[in-house]
Amino acid sequence: MTSSLDSDLLNIAVLRWLDTLAQQGIFTTDRDLVIRSWNRWLEEHTGHLATTVVGRGLFEAFPDLEARGFGGYYDGALGGQMKVLAHGLHRYVIPALDAPDGELRQSGRITPLELDGVIVGTITVVEDVAERIVSERELRSQIEASDRARALAEEAVQVKDEFLTTLSHEIRTPLNAVIGWTKILLSRPVEAPMLARALEVIDRNAVAQVRLIDDMLDTARIMSGKLRLETGPVDLARVALAAIDVVAPTAAAKNVALRAEFEPEGLMMLGDADRLQQIVWNLLANGIKFTETGGAVTVGITSENANLILTVADTGEGIPVDFMPVIFERFRQADPSASRRHAGLGIGLSLVRQLVELHGGRINVTSRAGEGSLFTVTFPSRPDLASGQSLAADARVALANVRLLVIDDQPEGRDLLTVALEQQGAAVTGVATAAEALALLDRSSRYELPHVIVADVGEGADADLTLIRPLCARSPERGGAIPTVAVATYDHPRSKRRVLAAGFNRYLAKPFSPDELAATVRSLLRG
Amino acid sequence: MELTQVQEDALIELLNIGFGRAGASLSQLTGHRVVLEVPQVSVHPIAELEAVLRAVVADEVASVHQIFSGPVAGDALLLLEHRAAGMLKELLTNEAPLPLPLDASAREVLTEVGNILLNACLGTFGNLLQVQVSFSIPHLNLESVSDILRSLLVQREGLRYALVVHAGFRLRDAEVTGYLVIVLSVASLDRLIRAVEQWEQNDGGLQ
Repeated sequence: MTSSLDSDLLNIAVLRWLDTLAQQGIFTTDRDLVIRSWNRWLEEHTGHLATTVVGRGLFEAFPDLEARGFGGYYDGALGGQMKVLAHGLHRYVIPALDAPDGELRQSGRITPLELDGVIVGTITVVEDVAERIVSERELRSQIEASDRARALAEEAVQVKDEFLTTLSHEIRTPLNAVIGWTKILLSRPVEAPMLARALEVIDRNAVAQVRLIDDMLDTARIMSGKLRLETGPVDLARVALAAIDVVAPTAAAKNVALRAEFEPEGLMMLGDADRLQQIVWNLLANGIKFTETGGAVTVGITSENANLILTVADTGEGIPVDFMPVIFERFRQADPSASRRHAGLGIGLSLVRQLVELHGGRINVTSRAGEGSLFTVTFPSRPDLASGQSLAADARVALANVRLLVIDDQPEGRDLLTVALEQQGAAVTGVATAAEALALLDRSSRYELPHVIVADVGEGADADLTLIRPLCARSPERGGAIPTVAVATYDHPRSKRRVLAAGFNRYLAKPFSPDELAATVRSLLRG
Repeated sequence: MELTQVQEDALIELLNIGFGRAGASLSQLTGHRVVLEVPQVSVHPIAELEAVLRAVVADEVASVHQIFSGPVAGDALLLLEHRAAGMLKELLTNEAPLPLPLDASAREVLTEVGNILLNACLGTFGNLLQVQVSFSIPHLNLESVSDILRSLLVQREGLRYALVVHAGFRLRDAEVTGYLVIVLSVASLDRLIRAVEQWEQNDGGLQ
């Protein structure tokens, strides 16, 4: 008797110990579906205590189960059938006291409880699948996100393909004009009016080409986060006037009127004069492009509160409604087809927006079909800055009586530099190599020494070795103090750093205008 | 062993009772009308089963396997091609499963679907034969038809037959086809067919 009691106690102890291990809810019923056991997991996960449910009928304790059709499952179990309860079809098995049913994530199974071939009751196992559901949901959203990313990437590839097609067309068109007219000029002597016309076309197309390439390079710089503004006090009015000057020939050729409706100076802000001009230029070029002959493009600048508001209005065809949301996106064009009527790369307005935002401004556009478009750019203004500090972008610099030495190993490049500087009144000597230049200095008296040396440094790789070091090592009488301008093949921050570190006084990247070159040279002249 | 037309008709009729019950369960669970039909049934020696299945399903399938025991014993399987399995899960739960391998939630739902269908059919057989059939826990496997058959063959000795039942699920304007395979010993099959004939003559014929 003692031993039987011991064994009962032992069994109870073993069951309680097992209960602490259970990672699932487990309860049993007898054949009458009266709950006979209810484990600790169920107490913890549902809030229903064994003391309150054991001894009660299953459906009396949980009427919700019967309403959900569990009666049939338990009948089946008493008839020997095993029943799976998937979370996806049932959501939960046992409702919790303190959680809404919608928050429960359970699956389970109902099994007949057999003893020696006789079914004596049922056993129900409940599992919490919340973690599994969460991780599946995460995986699902990751898959959906990557599907979306793939779709976006595919669209980007398509936009880029369209862009490349456009690009080749856009690059070819001005080049065709330049090459065509150059061939005519080379093949036969032409009259003065014809020559003037040819040069005007070549000039206009070459300038257009430079602008195109500048825009592309800037777009690439912005995309790689490498565009840096050289910020200073800027008079937006002067910038706008300069931009109007640039596009005036294009507007005139198309018979589109250009109107400037703002004070000619005193609209001060902080910014990069070149980039601001690029903004105005692009907006103007866009307006002219979409305006029919006889129309007008109007630039306005007003000062409101602490802002400068630049507006560019055209009387063109307006912007299609469905294009408005993407108008400032890269490589977007309302009509990307090859047969489109309007030229352009589709980077101008995206570049404008990026440059505006780099200046702490914002851009909006409104448009009505057939009634033109209105672009509005808002910049923070700085009325405290004096107009006189504005960068002298419009200064027409004369280099009268200035002696210059030009070094460029490419004859065409050397000629171009020489002609551009001579037009400003300078006396220019051109040589091909640094060695020739140094030899020339050796032959010169101190009164014949050039005032400034302009050297093409290519990509700037070994500029210091060939010219600057030997030059700086010299005494002032032999040319050691002559200021230098490095002309680089293309603008690159690394090449600029290297060149200036080597000892050049100024850095100028191609392409640049004769005015810019002259202004740079002039900035180095003393007195 | 070939079924006579009468036997086949009777078996289809009987299976349709079980399928009807399973369809009703699924309809109740999902809130959509789910119709389950048996258009075709055939009996084959187990050695021919692979060829029979290869003609109708792709090699890789999702299978719900349940062993039943008692006076009539054997293996019951629901086979679904992967695409059909995913589609069925989505139709039933309004949620597409993750791409293969099927996620745990999808496996669980398909296991219950197999469980409902196998219980309904074998329960019907049990009632007919007036015997109690006990079932093992159902398992869902993603494997090839030949692997499934290999595991069936190594389990037990003796000549066995397979009842192959085409199972058509129709719900929400879509159709999904699966295959129910019930593997029985010769004796069990014999008993079943005789009982079916008997039922056909007594009750079935009256309906």
